[in-house]
Amino acid sequence: MIEPVKLADFFLTFLSAASVILFGAVYALLFAYAKVSKMPRLMPLAYSAYAVLFASVITLAKVTNLFGSAFWISLVVVMLVGYLLAPHAIWHLCVGTHAASHHDDPVADKSDQTPAPLNFGSVNTFHQPCKEEAT
Amino acid sequence: MAANDNELWWASETFWKKTTIWTTAVMFLVLVGLTLDTMSQIQVGGKRVPAYSAINHRIDYKMDESRHAQVPVIGIEEPLFGKKLTEQEAEALVDHGKLTMHAKNCMDCHTILGNGAYYAPDLTKAWLDPYWGSRGVREELMVAFIKDPTDKIHNSLGRRMPNLGVTDTEAHAVVAYLKWMSTIDTNGFPNNFKPIDQEN
Amino acid sequence: MTALRALDSANLNGGQKLAVKYFTVALALLGVQITFGLLAAVQFVMPDFLFGVVDFSIKRMVHINAMIVWMVFGFIGSVYWMLEEEAGAPTVGLKLGNIIFYVFTAAVLVVVAVYLLVQTGPGEIETQWFITEGREYTEAPRWADIGIVVCLLTFFYNVAATFSKGKVTGIGGVLLLDLVALAGIYTLGMFYTTNLTMDQYWWWWVIHMWVEATWEVMVGCMMAYGLMKVLGTSRKIVTTWLYLEVFMMFGSGILGIGHHYFWIGTPQYWLSIGGFFSALEPLPLVAMVVHAVYDAGVHKSRNNNHPAMGWLIAHAFGNFFGAGVFGFIHTLPQINLYTHGTQWSASHGHFAFYGAYATIIIAFFYIALQKWRGDVWMSGNLFGGWKWKWSMVLLNVGMLGMIMGMLVAGFAQSQIERAIGGATWTAFFAAQEHPWFVQGMHWRLAFGTMFAAGYALLVWDLLTIGKRETRPVQSHDDAALEAK
Repeated sequence: MIEPVKLADFFLTFLSAASVILFGAVYALLFAYAKVSKMPRLMPLAYSAYAVLFASVITLAKVTNLFGSAFWISLVVVMLVGYLLAPHAIWHLCVGTHAASHHDDPVADKSDQTPAPLNFGSVNTFHQPCKEEAT
Repeated sequence: MAANDNELWWASETFWKKTTIWTTAVMFLVLVGLTLDTMSQIQVGGKRVPAYSAINHRIDYKMDESRHAQVPVIGIEEPLFGKKLTEQEAEALVDHGKLTMHAKNCMDCHTILGNGAYYAPDLTKAWLDPYWGSRGVREELMVAFIKDPTDKIHNSLGRRMPNLGVTDTEAHAVVAYLKWMSTIDTNGFPNNFKPIDQEN
Repeated sequence: MTALRALDSANLNGGQKLAVKYFTVALALLGVQITFGLLAAVQFVMPDFLFGVVDFSIKRMVHINAMIVWMVFGFIGSVYWMLEEEAGAPTVGLKLGNIIFYVFTAAVLVVVAVYLLVQTGPGEIETQWFITEGREYTEAPRWADIGIVVCLLTFFYNVAATFSKGKVTGIGGVLLLDLVALAGIYTLGMFYTTNLTMDQYWWWWVIHMWVEATWEVMVGCMMAYGLMKVLGTSRKIVTTWLYLEVFMMFGSGILGIGHHYFWIGTPQYWLSIGGFFSALEPLPLVAMVVHAVYDAGVHKSRNNNHPAMGWLIAHAFGNFFGAGVFGFIHTLPQINLYTHGTQWSASHGHFAFYGAYATIIIAFFYIALQKWRGDVWMSGNLFGGWKWKWSMVLLNVGMLGMIMGMLVAGFAQSQIERAIGGATWTAFFAAQEHPWFVQGMHWRLAFGTMFAAGYALLVWDLLTIGKRETRPVQSHDDAALEAK
């Protein structure tokens, strides 16, 4: 069962829906950037992006009349929790997958990669150390 | 694959391979289950998709408060072109109309149940459109329009429908198909549609 | 080493020689798509343009069919491109693959000729077999449907036999399953029924499962290969992430099909299922942002093919905005009731097809050309490098402009025609005559022209890039060092 959006709320619907996804991305971006460049000062900014996302989800839910039924409320909850936790989860996964591959024995790893993905020059040193920022 | 002590199980290739396969399989099975249920609900002659012989009746589109949506209502007997058809005859006529609409590629200008192109009006409730004026002249106006629309009044933009060489028989069949189409329960699409006055 | 880099097929393996044939036809068909799109856009502004000669329906049909075919050709080409390197074996049944390429191309030409010259037929079943099926996106007549399935199966045979002769990599495994689904799902749309709701139900199985499922996975495979190739990311990492991506896409996308089942006569529970799962569809895209930042920050790897990298980045953004943002803003049934079947759909469709698919296929064109010219330099200070940059600017800005034009038109349409007027004939034209709509269509035409100019430049660049270069490709190590 749905209750359609009111005409007066059309613009707010489109705007809040777009904000949900956009601020979801901004939150993810700032979160990851703060971690990867070891700048915890950026973290509050990431969470304020999430706060905007939170407000957008609530606005969207209001104008699309989602609070009328338990089913649609569950969607609101899933979105709020999902967008909050997904960047954390993906971050752990990034660290996890890359840690495993960094510790691979390069010789054993090579057999894993037949055929070599690249055939020009020495290409097995994929992972460049993270020292470049210094210059 | 070389054994790797440092590998975390939840970050391993094998774990995600299995997760992917299982998730895909489960989602697909759920979809198959829902499809089977939907198939049984959208058979012609059911509640959502009425029998072809519905074209022997007056069709209306009214607000159903309990569903927050407008729904088609099959009313009193009101045969199309004044001729009551059997179920088989109705099916043959509607079928010919649908084949014609495929053959003339109507869907690449119009939308049908909201799907298609956006150059010309939606046809979901074309049968009920107030544009046809009154119940008495609607059928013949529709047939005449479909057969030769080019110089009929459309709009102030100058946008017109071309003459697609629709025969008289085909045009009658298309009207039957459109009438039947308007009986399909589309969950309230289109919303706020004000149907043609059929009382007089 | 030669002084100038000629296109020399000796630089390519067997599968790649076939791939560049597919790429060539794909690029030409992109031109057809743009031409007919422009003609249709002109008719929105000047309704009598080619009226009665090539009507809007025909222009639009050629426009969207050319798109599907060029993208399918682009995908097939991309798979043949990576096949031998992935499998570690020469392509099995290459001769048959070549024959099928010519048959497929000839069939496409015949179908288009019939579209343009015969156009419509009588309201009989024979019309569906020999002229057109008259269903959006799958307008191709039934004989061509069967032909497409035969071609896809032969293609599948090439791929499967090659992998089983060599070795099935992670990317290979995903690809094989995807191709089975691709061919299998297409057959589900190959029937006629009078029951319109049944017709559209299965029709969406084909469209949704191709465009929002199997094509996305195909692109996932291409992206995985492209990242290894252009950035030198390790195979293990891209494979794990490919699985994760497929998991998220199928996890939300398979039941996301429900957003096509809101208004076609299907039961009410689809409103809930479709709304729920399609609201989750952007989550994977947002999550991927983290991965992209991580990769960029940790690896510092530099790419050795700037045009390809540029287009892969355009793909990431296009997919996010086109499919993610533009999809989500009108996917909930509460608002979709008013936006479904308006210029909103057109706006989203243009953004998503271009952003998710056109971009990555163009990236593959550049990957192919680099090798075709004997692993030529395609990094900084590229000779004539302004061409790829400017074509990219014109194509992207042109597309964004078109999208915005349609967005404004759709915004007016959803209110005037749908919410106020209730989608009657009069309401439809009241919206089409509204200044916002009319101006939106003018902007769309103007930016469409810019897009066409970008295409012309793209073709010129693809024909000439690397030709005057004497430098060989930059290794990933050198590229990274240079970045210091």
